[in-house]
Amino acid sequence: MYGKFVKIHFKSMLQYKSNTFLLIASSLFTSVAEFLSVYVLFSSFKTIGNWTFYEAALTFGMITAIFPFVECFARGYDEFSKHVVGGDLDRMMVRPINIYKQLFFSEVEFFKLPKVLLGVGITIFSIANLKVVWTFAKVMVLLASVACGCVIIFCVMLVGAAFCFFTIDNLEFVNVITNGGRELCYYPINVYNKWITRFFTFVIPFACFNYLPLSYILGYGNLPMWLCAISPLLGMLFLIPCVLFFNWSLKHYQSSGT
Amino acid sequence: MKSYFALFKMTFKGELQYRAKAISGIITQLFWGAMYISLYTAFMNSGTVNGFTIPQMASYIWLGQAFFAMKYVNMPKGAAKEIVGGNVCYKFTRPINLYSQWYAELVGQKLSATLLRFAPIIVLGFVLPASFGLMLPVGVGEFFLFLFGLVLGLLMSSAIGMIAVYLTFRTLSQRGMAQILGTITSLLCGSFVPLPLLPQNLQKVISYMPFRVIGDLPFRIYIGNISVSEGLVQMAIGTAWFVVVVVIGVLLLKLSQRKTEIQGG
Repeated sequence: MYGKFVKIHFKSMLQYKSNTFLLIASSLFTSVAEFLSVYVLFSSFKTIGNWTFYEAALTFGMITAIFPFVECFARGYDEFSKHVVGGDLDRMMVRPINIYKQLFFSEVEFFKLPKVLLGVGITIFSIANLKVVWTFAKVMVLLASVACGCVIIFCVMLVGAAFCFFTIDNLEFVNVITNGGRELCYYPINVYNKWITRFFTFVIPFACFNYLPLSYILGYGNLPMWLCAISPLLGMLFLIPCVLFFNWSLKHYQSSGT
Repeated sequence: MKSYFALFKMTFKGELQYRAKAISGIITQLFWGAMYISLYTAFMNSGTVNGFTIPQMASYIWLGQAFFAMKYVNMPKGAAKEIVGGNVCYKFTRPINLYSQWYAELVGQKLSATLLRFAPIIVLGFVLPASFGLMLPVGVGEFFLFLFGLVLGLLMSSAIGMIAVYLTFRTLSQRGMAQILGTITSLLCGSFVPLPLLPQNLQKVISYMPFRVIGDLPFRIYIGNISVSEGLVQMAIGTAWFVVVVVIGVLLLKLSQRKTEIQGG
């Protein structure tokens, strides 16, 4: 059934060819401009903390691939206030299908996918330039951290959506965590102030798909290696409190009266 | 002229109503400010740039966050919807100039959004310790030139916003070309990366472009990275560019107005 919905969304996008093209061009342009700024900064400074350009390019590439991928399929969560304000949510709740599923169906933004390719491209570019001896374990950690990244970005959108039950309108500070988090992850998170690093390691575990697995892959840092290696798996546990919070909020929701 | 001023006043007062939005915006700006300062401090600790110190960088970032609403390229509220939806034809029938009408609205909207947001960020910046806070302006002359630069920046970013309006007219989408224009402007006015952190030759090229007067130039005068005499020259270049951008905007909008077909309905 999901396939059917995806097909419908895809067809509807193809109806607006020039519009779609412009959307793709502008979103790619922004990412390229941001990557250029990273490149220019490294050409001025060579390193940030202990990290070099290609190492930072790896985190940049990963988040550039992960974020639009999640945005493409979880747009319904990101734009959740629209469903609450418009009363769509009330209609969804009387349908005999799981609310999570319906939100995944509600919107699919395919024009985000070329950006995923750009991110994958940057990741491959950086891996090709890094002198890392790839072992089976390292490849697995890299794949796990991509999966972990998808889960955590989704979690952030889910919590943002859950806030909408109480505030109706979308809150800009949720945007800080989603878009701000995305920009934060352009670099290995431990280059920032220690409070920022701690917050995004222990409260919102962006570090689990960012500098922790990277430390393992590159063999850096003073943390125990086994902990870095399993960090993507630990990060995925973040899904549990987020889903519980969403369910709890859903139970307390009393229609916006539309 | 009076009617344009009335439009300016109307949007100005209208935007002042959105206080909750402003508070949320301030929190956002504080977050970004802290993040950028932390990031660039990490960069600057591993290398030096000619004459741009960490306290100067922190001040540059805080000023950028405080005046973000002014720098950001946007369109008059509702303009995009009117253009795409077709309601813009009612605007055509008014006996006042379309460009001036939207321009007055845009300046009013930006000014009140800025006035609602800048004070808490500036105050917090002053309270914070020097290495990540906001410094006082280096001198009285610099401060007045900074204020003049802010006004010019406001006028310039609104003029660029009007080009975005034209692009929306042509493409009937505000997220395509108009967004690309916004990204270019952010990049070249130092919203992504403070311009003093860029390589010298790149900075030189950017200093002849119309964008840096939005933000970068006044901020650098404030922190003493650009002297008053050099600042005056740059300001003159900026003013000339401002005239050019407005003229281009007026002509383009006239052109698209002539080509517009009302589709009925």
